[in-house]
Amino acid sequence: MIQNPIITMENVHKSYGDLEVLKGIDLQVYPGEVISLIGSSGSGKSTLLRCLNHLEKISKGTIIIDGIHLDESSRHINQIRREVGMVFQQFNLFPHMTVLQNVMEAPIRVLKRDRSDVKKQALTLLKKVGLQDKAEVYPKKLSGGQQQRVAIARALAMNPKIMLFDEPTSALDPELVNEVLLVMKELVAEGMTMLVVTHEMSFARDASDRVIYMSNGIIEETGSPDEIFHHPKSQKLKNFLVSIK
Amino acid sequence: MLDFTLVQKYIPFLIKASWVTLEISILSILIGLILGLVIVLMKISSIKPLSLFADFYIWVLRGTPMLVQLFLVYFGLPQLGIELSPFLASLIALGMNAGAYMAEIFRGGIQSIPKGQMEAALSLGMDYPTIMRRIILPQAFRVSIPGIGNESITLLKDSSLASLVTVSELMMTSQRFASSNYAFIEFYITAAIFYLIMTTLLTFVLRRIESKLAVAD
Ligand SMILES: Nc1ncnc2c1ncn2[C@@H]1O[C@H](COP(=O)(O)OP(=O)(O)O)[C@@H](O)[C@H]1O
Ligand SMILES: [Mg+2]
Repeated sequence: MIQNPIITMENVHKSYGDLEVLKGIDLQVYPGEVISLIGSSGSGKSTLLRCLNHLEKISKGTIIIDGIHLDESSRHINQIRREVGMVFQQFNLFPHMTVLQNVMEAPIRVLKRDRSDVKKQALTLLKKVGLQDKAEVYPKKLSGGQQQRVAIARALAMNPKIMLFDEPTSALDPELVNEVLLVMKELVAEGMTMLVVTHEMSFARDASDRVIYMSNGIIEETGSPDEIFHHPKSQKLKNFLVSIK
Repeated sequence: MLDFTLVQKYIPFLIKASWVTLEISILSILIGLILGLVIVLMKISSIKPLSLFADFYIWVLRGTPMLVQLFLVYFGLPQLGIELSPFLASLIALGMNAGAYMAEIFRGGIQSIPKGQMEAALSLGMDYPTIMRRIILPQAFRVSIPGIGNESITLLKDSSLASLVTVSELMMTSQRFASSNYAFIEFYITAAIFYLIMTTLLTFVLRRIESKLAVAD
């Protein structure tokens, strides 16, 4: 069965002043696909992700997500943001709200859903990320790994079709990385469409369908994990793989 | 000779006058908070005329003496046909002045909130007013509490300026008794003590609010 891509990027450019950070990105992501984005720091991975939910405005090109054209229309932007969840390196939980309130906030305010329904779903999500007993706790009291799992639950509460992860484990102590990766792998198993910027090569290798290697604002190479990690073509990718060993 | 027993029989009047002082202070703090919020929202808005107006407002009200502002309201406005009671004129002048300072305090608070808060809220599909109301301002307000406290204490003391437009608050009342009894030291020291009690109480209340809110984070 041939499906339509859920994300289409065509010739996407992004500049900050004179600095061109994305230099013509073409990318199609299919429903259920899990894509890892790798590449050295400054290559434009975060920017690519942030363009997809319009945290950054692209300078040129086209982005279509789930049939919605990501243009300047704020209606389209909001529509897309409801369908695209994002998890940040620094978690960005709302510190003045409890864990449960963090998860419930967007469905209530954005989707105007019924509070008791949302609460039920939020508790289920917290259970799924292993934090049902932390519902009434404030984020500050949690470890980094726990906070990131709450952040994942918060994004999932909007029932997104796509999840973006921007180095979700980079701010974590090594011993806390796995609990977050496990939750992400569960999402993979459930068929979530995911774009993951990561330095966790084990995740890129084991959990993704496709790996994209970015360098200097372009997609330098893309392929299956096996192709990227064991049969790299470009010299840049070969050097990169050596550098992270 | 100093004779503080003289003051004794005036204490009930001084207490009553202190209530007026508290009334002016608390009401103008509230006006200042609301006005400060409005001004800071204008200031950070992307609508240029609004933010320019906010800049202008803050510039003028912080850059001129409160007494000039008060006299303009009380003595100046009647010239334009707007007569205000001394009490109301004082409230307006003190409140507008406090608004400028509160706006600056709030701005500092808002700026101290990490960018990631806004981004997380945007990524969840929240719109700007909701993000302000639910995410940014509640956090900014907490950060602003020490500043609000300082400004409130300043305002309580500055409310003594209202005596110059004949509001019977603590300063005005003390002045009257001081000169009629020719006992300046006694009455002004008593007034100072009354102010000290009020600022101390206010500090105490603000501390309580601060620590109550701090429990949350
Ligand atoms: N807001 C910004 N203003 C100016 N330059 C930026 C901004 N954000 C990112 N950049 C620059 O864009 C380039 C790509 O950044 P980024 O997408 O964060 O890379 P990566 O995530 O791959 O490390 C970097 O050179 C970075 O300095
Ligand atoms: Mg990055």
